[in-house]
Amino acid sequence: MKPRYKRLILVVVALALLTLGATFVLKAFRSNLVFFYTPTEVLAGQVPDGQAFRIGGMVQEGSVGRKEDGVTVRFEVTDTIENVPVQFIGILPDLFQEGKGVVAQGRINAEGIFLADQVLAKHDENYMPPEAAEALERARKIKMDKQ
Amino acid sequence: MFSAFLSVLRKELLLAFRQKTDVVTVLFFFLIVSSLFPLAVGPELSTLKIIGPGVIWVGALLCSLLALHRVFESDFSDGSLEHLVLSGEPLSILVIAKIAAHWLVTGLPVVIVAPLIGLQFGLPSTSLILLVGTLLLGTPVLSLIGSIGAALTLGVRGGAALTSILILPFYVPVLIFGAGAVVADLQGLSIDGHISVLLASLCISVALAPLAIASAIKIALE
Amino acid sequence: MNFWQYSSPQYFYPLAKKMAIIFFVLACILTVWGLYIGFFVAPTDFQQGESYRIIFIHVPAAWMSMIIYLVMSFWAAIGLIMNTRLSSMLAQALAPTGALMTFIALWTGAFWGRPTWGAWWVWDARLTSELILLFLYIGYMALRASIEDPRRADRASAILALVGVVNVPIIYFSVKWWNTLHQGASVSFTKSPSMATSMLTGMLVMALAFWMYSIAVSLVRVRRIIRDREANAGWLNESRGAS
Repeated sequence: MKPRYKRLILVVVALALLTLGATFVLKAFRSNLVFFYTPTEVLAGQVPDGQAFRIGGMVQEGSVGRKEDGVTVRFEVTDTIENVPVQFIGILPDLFQEGKGVVAQGRINAEGIFLADQVLAKHDENYMPPEAAEALERARKIKMDKQ
Repeated sequence: MFSAFLSVLRKELLLAFRQKTDVVTVLFFFLIVSSLFPLAVGPELSTLKIIGPGVIWVGALLCSLLALHRVFESDFSDGSLEHLVLSGEPLSILVIAKIAAHWLVTGLPVVIVAPLIGLQFGLPSTSLILLVGTLLLGTPVLSLIGSIGAALTLGVRGGAALTSILILPFYVPVLIFGAGAVVADLQGLSIDGHISVLLASLCISVALAPLAIASAIKIALE
Repeated sequence: MNFWQYSSPQYFYPLAKKMAIIFFVLACILTVWGLYIGFFVAPTDFQQGESYRIIFIHVPAAWMSMIIYLVMSFWAAIGLIMNTRLSSMLAQALAPTGALMTFIALWTGAFWGRPTWGAWWVWDARLTSELILLFLYIGYMALRASIEDPRRADRASAILALVGVVNVPIIYFSVKWWNTLHQGASVSFTKSPSMATSMLTGMLVMALAFWMYSIAVSLVRVRRIIRDREANAGWLNESRGAS
C-alpha cells in the first residue's frame, strides 16, 4: 500500500472519530447536568435519600426569621409553586435577601426541614444603580396595576 | 500498516510480560493508595461511600501517571524510537500501538481491581458496575493524553515530575465526569451527560493525541 | 520599507523599545482614567453595593488571562509551522503575563466572592477552569524552563500550548454548559449589555489599560529574551553601542 493511501485512510479515520466526538458533545449539551434541585423536585421526592444535596430557588418574601438563640435562621425557599423550609446556623452572605435567589447545601430531616450547612446567594446578571432598579420596580407595579 | 500496529503491540506486551514487576508495582500502588484513604478519613461507611468513586478515580489517574514515563523513555534512550520513526509506517499508528500496550498492562488491571476497592468503600453493586464502565471509557483517555506529556519531556531532566505538572490539568475533565457519573448515579441523577462527555473525549483524544505525540517525538529526536 | 523585516529579532529589537514606551504611557493614562470612572463616576450597584467595583480589575484580568493564552498559542503555532524565531520568543514572553492575569482574576474573584456569594471559593465550572488555566500557564513555563535547547523548547511548548487551547473555550462557555453558581456573562456580543453605561465604560477602559500593559510588558520581556538568546550575534553589540 502506498504511503499516500495510508495517510488518506488515517485522515478519514481521524475525521470520522472527530465527527463522532462532536455528536457526543452535542448530546452532552442537550442532557441536563443538574447543579441544584428546585423545591418542587424536592417535594416530589426526586432527591437522593439521606444524601447531602443542593436546593435552589428564591427566598420567600416575609419568611425569614430568627430563633430565640439569635444565630439560627429560618426561611423558605420557593420556586413560586412549592416551598421548602430551610434552617441554617451561621452568617448569611450580604446578597441574601427576601425575593432574591439562593442556593443552600445540606440535607433534609424527618420533619421535612432542610438543614443547611452552607447558604450561597445567587445573584442575577444585572448590574445597575439603585435608581434604575427602583425605576424597573415602579414600571413592574404599574404594569401589574393595569392588569 | 495494520501488521506494523500488531507487531509493535505484540513486542510491547511481550516486554511487559517479561518484566512483570512493572505491572505488579502499579497494581499494588493502586491498592495501597486507595486503602490509605479510609485510614485517613475514618471508617464511617457513609463518608467512605461519598468519597469512594473520587478516590478510586484519583488512584487510577495516579497509576496512569506512574507508568507513563516508561512509554517512550527507554525506547528513546536505546535508539529504537528512532528506528520506529524511520520505519516508513505512519508514526501515529505505531504510537497508538504503544499506548494501547501501555493501557493493557497498566490501565486494564486497574479497571479490573477497581470493584474490589469499591467494596472497601461500601459502594453498592450498581455503582461498581458503573465504576468499571466509566474507568473503561476514561483510562484510555488518560493514557492517550498522558503520552503527550511523556513524549514532550523525552530526555529532559526530571521528566517524570515534569510530565505530572504538564498532564494533570488535562486529566481534570475526565476525572470530573468519570467520578461524577458514579456520584450522580448514587444520588439518583441521570448520567447520560457524563457518559456522553467521556465518549466524546475518548473519540477526540484517539483522533488528535497521536498527532501531537508523533510531532513531539520528532521534535525530541532532532 | 519592508514590513516583514520586523519579523527578524535584529530589526524588532529597537522597534520593541519604542513601542514598549508608547504602550506603557497609554497603559498609565487609561488606568488612571478607568479607575477614576470606576471609583468616582460609576454609581453604586443596587444589589451588591460597593463590592461590585472589583469588576473593574477582575473582569479585565479574567478577559486578558484567556486572550493572552490564545495569542500565546497563536504565536507558538506560527513559530512551529513557519519556523520563525521571533514568534516563539513572543509566545515565551507572553506566558508570565498571562499567568499573572489569571492569578489576579482568581485573587480578586475570591475577595468579591466572600461578601457576595458567602464563600471565598466555590468549585463551580468557571472558577475551576480559570484555576486549570493557571496550571496550564505553569506547565507551559515549566516545560520551557526544563528543556535546555531553546529551539526544542520553542517547539515542544508550542505543542503543549496548542493542546491546552481546547481548554480556553471550555472556560468561556462553561457558564452556559454547566448551570452553576457563577453568574451568566454580563457583557455578551449577542445581546445589549445589562449594565449601567458608566459601569460599562469604566470596565472597557480598564480592559484597554490591561491590554496596553500586557503588550508593553511582553515587549520588554521579548527584548530581554532576544538579548539572552542572540547574545552571540554581532548585531546586538553594535546596536547596544549605538543606543
